[in-house]
Amino acid sequence: MALARVEGLTYAYPGSEAPALVGVSLELREREAVALLGPSGSGKSTLLRALAGLVPHFHGGQFAGRVEIAGRDTRKSRPAELAGTVATVFQDPEDQVVMTVVENEVAFGLENLGTPPGEIWRRVEDALAAADALHLARRRTAELSGGELQRVCLASALALRPRLLLLDEPTSQLDPEAAEILLRQVAGLGAAVVLSEQRVGRALALASRVLFVEAGRLLFDGGREGALEWLAENRPFYSGVYASDNSVADEPAGAAPACRLVGVSFAYRPGAPVLERVDLEVRRGEVVVLEGPNGSGKTTLAKIASGLLEPAAGRVERVGRAGYLSQDPGRYLVCDRVIDEAALAVGGDRGLAQRALAQVGLGWAADRHPRDLSSGERERLGLAAVAVAEPDLLVLDEPTRGIDPERKAEIGTWLAAYAAGGRGVLVATHDRGFPAHRRVSLAGDSSPAQSPTSTAESHALDSSDAVLAC
Amino acid sequence: MKLSAVPAAVLLAGAAAAALLASRAISAGAIAAVLLGVCLRAPVGRRRLYLVGAVSTGLGVFVLSPFLWIEGSSALWSGPTVPVLGRVDVTAEELEIAALNGLRLAALGLAFAAYALLLDHDRLVAAAGFARRSALAVALATRLVPTLERDAFGLAEAVRGRGVRVEGARGRARLLSPLVAGSLERASALAEAMEARGFGRAGATRAPRPAWGVLDRAAVGAAAGLVVAGALWL
Repeated sequence: MALARVEGLTYAYPGSEAPALVGVSLELREREAVALLGPSGSGKSTLLRALAGLVPHFHGGQFAGRVEIAGRDTRKSRPAELAGTVATVFQDPEDQVVMTVVENEVAFGLENLGTPPGEIWRRVEDALAAADALHLARRRTAELSGGELQRVCLASALALRPRLLLLDEPTSQLDPEAAEILLRQVAGLGAAVVLSEQRVGRALALASRVLFVEAGRLLFDGGREGALEWLAENRPFYSGVYASDNSVADEPAGAAPACRLVGVSFAYRPGAPVLERVDLEVRRGEVVVLEGPNGSGKTTLAKIASGLLEPAAGRVERVGRAGYLSQDPGRYLVCDRVIDEAALAVGGDRGLAQRALAQVGLGWAADRHPRDLSSGERERLGLAAVAVAEPDLLVLDEPTRGIDPERKAEIGTWLAAYAAGGRGVLVATHDRGFPAHRRVSLAGDSSPAQSPTSTAESHALDSSDAVLAC
Repeated sequence: MKLSAVPAAVLLAGAAAAALLASRAISAGAIAAVLLGVCLRAPVGRRRLYLVGAVSTGLGVFVLSPFLWIEGSSALWSGPTVPVLGRVDVTAEELEIAALNGLRLAALGLAFAAYALLLDHDRLVAAAGFARRSALAVALATRLVPTLERDAFGLAEAVRGRGVRVEGARGRARLLSPLVAGSLERASALAEAMEARGFGRAGATRAPRPAWGVLDRAAVGAAAGLVVAGALWL
């Protein structure tokens, strides 16, 4: 008997004109690992929600067809009743943490399921160990990084010992090594796993079966080998073409620097330096990728380069204006329409805004509300909103999170062209496939440079004339 | 030896009640000072917002209320006659009452700050018995303050990163709407995650917690003593 059965599922969110899922049918067997692939906004997250019973119970909307989990019809069983049989790790870890201390967070689900009290702490410990997060047990959840929170969320799901584990981009904030370890742990669980991932290589390494969803329809359902052939033929960006070529042609020679950091140090609190005497140069015409494990200081260095943080010591030289894209796309939702959001930095010039939206593949969404966009689409909106003013130095923090391979390739190409226009681009990312002229690795100890530490000196960026008005 | 969350919360509530019941400014001031000392144990970055809120509220009451009351005869300053309010003046008695009320309010704010900053809310939720859902709602609401502060900072930073200036109170006010919308979206996502983890299902259990020690019992006794003292002697 199948663990999960979906029959002719068609679903539309309340107030939505187009259905998010159309006629989806599939079966999931015990212990199988399934990769769920597809473009941003294609319905992957909705399908996971349907398997957890959250669609339609939590979201409402129009639901047709049938979803059964372990023989239970999800229309008749509430998600809380399916919990334990099913466990879900959602996309954004910050939005799913309930308790203030990590071990209590992991215990929360076990308490809800009525686990015997004597077993709870043992299972909490086992789950934290499996997610490589045992060292975080007594930490406050508010103090954890995104990557650490993702581990805690996974531990919370693992603690329930589900038969079906639904993972919605569970490693988007982890460095490649940590992601690999985590997915290896997941593979060894013995539960059926459905993994929605935009980093296709990661998903295929885990999965024996692949589902490809586009515009709400299940276009492919088959084994991994068959999937690789199908993807190569029909959706080449998903077949690894992009990941294998991460260089950009025409590296600029002898170009003037857009930004130079010399001997930069920084600490958020005394005695805990994040960066120590780091040197970095981004020249005009080049795309530089800043790599490094979680907690190595990539975001801090990116903020210093863009002028959002002042270094405690060292020198920052910048020529012209800098723009910075934060790794949280939710911070680019200030206005009521996508076009106004993109036009904010150019004094409301909708022509420029429309062009910037088209460059990131969001031209169609100009009149929509930004909060109606999917996670990946929000990420692209953020990129358009920052790049529209064409800053001399464009600093992007994890710009490919939640973005599908095709869009990612388009953005890579577009950024190379942007840099070729005589501007510098600095990208802090875990994405090893991101195309760049140069890759700079920031080690966990923030790689002290040879230059001596000097007193802080930062040439402030020119501010734009734009003021906040949607 | 560390105080458990529930006795600590009871002690803070006792201190706040004693401050409200106190009839002398020096008593309310002493309680506020002790609570301020307790709050200073929290990390600087986290405590700033709470302390500014508690102290400025108390100070606001102290500064404004003498102009609004008509009390006492020892006039220190006489001002103009304002429609509805009448003659605006400040007397020694009004200042004394204003100081008492300001300190009471500051003590109340500081007790809440200590609760929000230093207590393990998870333990309070776990100890809530039949009212677990309400306790969880209160704990989540308490957590909203630092979350909102973090979101507001992040939003302003992202706007600056786009080269857009956020000018004055009007500019900041424009960020209020997206901030509230973001909070609602987050609350909805959290509710969804809680439901997916079985919240609200019948037959929930509790993870075992350490039993109360001598210090915990003493704290509950001290809280009761504070309330009585506040009503009778302070």
